[in-house]
Amino acid sequence: MPAKNHRVLPGFGLALGYTLVYLSLLILLPLGGMVLKASELGFGQIIDIALSERSLAAFRVTFGASLLAAALNAFFGLIVAWILVRYSFPGKRFVDALVDLPFALPTAVAGITLSTLYAGNGWLGRYLEPLGVKIAYTPNGIVVALIFVTLPFVVRTLQPVIEDIESDVEEAAASLGASRWQTFSRVIFPAIAPALLTGFAMAFSRAVGEYGSVIFIAGNLPLISEITPLLIISKLEQYDVLGATALAVVMLAISFVLLLAINFLQWWSANRYKNDEPLEAAAGRAAGAPA
Amino acid sequence: MSIEIRNISKRFGNFVALDNINLAIPTGELVALLGPSGCGKTTLLRIIAGMESPEQGEVLFSGSEATHLHVRERNVGFVFQHYALFRHMTVFENVAFGLRVKPRQERPKEAEIKRRVMALLGLVQLDWLAERYPSQLSGGQRQRIALARALAVEPKVLLLDEPFGALDTKVRKELRRWLRRLHDEMHISSVFVTHDQEEALEVADRVVVMNHGKIEQIGSPDEVYSNPASPFVYQFLGNVNVFHSRVHGGYAEVERAAASEKTTAFVRPHDIDIAHQPLAEGLQATVLHVHPIGPLVRVELQHNGEFIEVELSRERHEALQLTVGQAVWFRPRQVRVFGADQLPQATPEKQAFLF
Amino acid sequence: MTANLATREAGWVRSVLLAVGLGFLFFFLGLPLLAVFVEALAQGLPVYVDALKEPETRSAIVLTIVIALAVLPFNIAFGVAAAWAIAKFDFRGKSLLITLIDLPFAVSPVVAGLVFILLFGAQGTFGPWLAAHEIRIIFAVPGMIIATLFITFPFIARELIPLMQAQGKEEEEAAVSLGASGWQMFWRVTLPNIKWGLLYGVILSNARAMGEFGAVSVVSGHIRGETNTLPLHVEILYNEYNAIGAFAAASILALLALVTLVAKTVVEWNMKKETEMLNTVLAPEKIS
Repeated sequence: MPAKNHRVLPGFGLALGYTLVYLSLLILLPLGGMVLKASELGFGQIIDIALSERSLAAFRVTFGASLLAAALNAFFGLIVAWILVRYSFPGKRFVDALVDLPFALPTAVAGITLSTLYAGNGWLGRYLEPLGVKIAYTPNGIVVALIFVTLPFVVRTLQPVIEDIESDVEEAAASLGASRWQTFSRVIFPAIAPALLTGFAMAFSRAVGEYGSVIFIAGNLPLISEITPLLIISKLEQYDVLGATALAVVMLAISFVLLLAINFLQWWSANRYKNDEPLEAAAGRAAGAPA
Repeated sequence: MSIEIRNISKRFGNFVALDNINLAIPTGELVALLGPSGCGKTTLLRIIAGMESPEQGEVLFSGSEATHLHVRERNVGFVFQHYALFRHMTVFENVAFGLRVKPRQERPKEAEIKRRVMALLGLVQLDWLAERYPSQLSGGQRQRIALARALAVEPKVLLLDEPFGALDTKVRKELRRWLRRLHDEMHISSVFVTHDQEEALEVADRVVVMNHGKIEQIGSPDEVYSNPASPFVYQFLGNVNVFHSRVHGGYAEVERAAASEKTTAFVRPHDIDIAHQPLAEGLQATVLHVHPIGPLVRVELQHNGEFIEVELSRERHEALQLTVGQAVWFRPRQVRVFGADQLPQATPEKQAFLF
Repeated sequence: MTANLATREAGWVRSVLLAVGLGFLFFFLGLPLLAVFVEALAQGLPVYVDALKEPETRSAIVLTIVIALAVLPFNIAFGVAAAWAIAKFDFRGKSLLITLIDLPFAVSPVVAGLVFILLFGAQGTFGPWLAAHEIRIIFAVPGMIIATLFITFPFIARELIPLMQAQGKEEEEAAVSLGASGWQMFWRVTLPNIKWGLLYGVILSNARAMGEFGAVSVVSGHIRGETNTLPLHVEILYNEYNAIGAFAAASILALLALVTLVAKTVVEWNMKKETEMLNTVLAPEKIS
């Protein structure tokens, strides 16, 4: 863009300026401040804190439970998205709206409700515990809470993609002799896989940082069922600000990596088959071919 | 108002959209910017409107500098390719918009706005649609509303971006004639962009043929069609048979003084005669296909592995009674020859082919 | 979509998928939602109403509303400004900016709270200065508002950016070419076009603002009757084994969630109608 290019629509400077100032004050300054604070410790000490027994156990619990919850959500979310798009059943619109409940319901409410449901005397716990399945106040509870909180991600990323599948590719597969399962695994699944992966990554990313719903059901035993966000808070409450900051910086770095991964996945799933199209258009324009 | 374009250039990244364009549009003329997509015609139109700014060069309105004038102050009426009607406003409010946003002291009274909007809707013959929303209109109706909206502010110049591009053939033909009539009534300088040569030739007073960001030819519709300034113009305006010289391609050679020069000969399909008897300076060929298309009959001939397209009138075809596989003679009535430098060359005295 | 023989699963497969999918949703969504209200009303309506009448619960409700209202104008202004710049103009670093706007979705709420403690807390960067001027941010309402801002600011922008990109800039250009000033263009053309998207973003960000727990919890200091929002109050009551009180407070938040879902569905429905309209407006008629 040349410097003297004036823009037809007004307000660019104002809008972008406001956006940048706002983001700097609300996001960059606080996050930068935290990184600066952590630098008082030095890289080696941050690693020491992050690799201490309790932190390591907390990371293990956090990532393990998040991975499991995201994977379960990917599996069930695919089924839910499929039936919501392809099948009709009574109350479908209600069910469809209900999928967003975890986004709307405060996490604390989810936390106390789930722990009540899965406690030994709860609606579900009383049937599960005699079978030897303990959910509340164990790492299993963390997985349950994270499944609830991250449930919409996979469903909501998959729904539009499944809607967009042209029925003629399925018909083509069927006409070529493919069974329904072959059509799904060879034609449909490859088409929706990037979205599934994106939904999985979003669910995982959200699960890693989740706090409110987990603390009520986890039991919060250090080394066993203590998640990293809770560990940060307990360090803070013991006035170990630097320790909390060190862990927070590690979490922030992980968030960044996940965010970039999600952005890449979205970009990839949007562009992977489009590569030659813009090229062709550009070539046509360059050649000045009559339209 | 007259428009003058002086040495305008514009690039987007590495893509040269306009390369040193010069163009003068006298008051009251209806000018078509014609060219393939990506030739820069829309960019030129947007620069005239003030929606794009050139990297260099000047735009003059009535002789005075307007290059850096904001769209708002240029007093141009712009009709967008996809109409850009305000979808949440009724047809009436769309047309009234330009009047309602005027500064208070210039803004007409409500009754006057109503009168003027209804008059404009009458002009585009859609006053009965005043209370409808854009989504309830057909494409042709939207186009006319977009035009009425642009005219409401009494622009000195009317600019239309592919005004008929998104319409089906029948509506397009009607609207073309209608635009021509409207222009003759209003007599306002108008520029429209199109990639459809038929549209440009039928509607415009003058046609500006563009390619690769450059102007290939400026002239009346008849001039550009019957006297194309370059091979591009020849090929872009209508069907054409292309014959390369022997030196160049080994297919055909126009008999002229310097036969070894690299030249290309262009012949329009309807400029070829066909006969059953040998023609003086004609060539023999085999009839490959005969396609009656409406009033015309398209005949494909083959001569030494070369295909030649010929268009005959129905009467002529009936007289000839061509059948596939028949051997016939053909001869071009009119040939245009361009040299390797793409400049027109003197048409040979003897209009004949030697293959 | 209508499935024909070629694109339909066998009957038993459909039944199994429906049973698994709906069963999953029932156990993980339906049952918890139901449980909130059942637990809240476990000892009858009078006890429930009494629990809600507690002054601390009432002050928690008020503070929740105050914070949500305080945050709203900031989020709207940011959302509209960011979407305007990003959707209607091209500039360098645009995708970086979008990633930055996404950041609060990825950052743990606990980290979000912590950064403001480090900034404004007693030992924080601005702590001594704030203490000297007797300004309380941490363990006070301003800190809770700032933390909520951090968590909720992307919602409106995230809704508006794709919407405004899809709408393009032709209508605005048309308005300007007809002589509209910047404000006239914004109020008469842009705002009516984005109103549903804006409302959608407002609903989402409001739900999050009222329900946020982690970030607010870190900066609140849990001062009863002063810095307790409804979600924080739920925690306090629950930890005091006051199940009825906790679930009564939780039921208000659950009702709020239901209202959010209904409002969201209605707005989605309107947006869909509008998009269909937009498509008919913009879709070129087929050239035959």
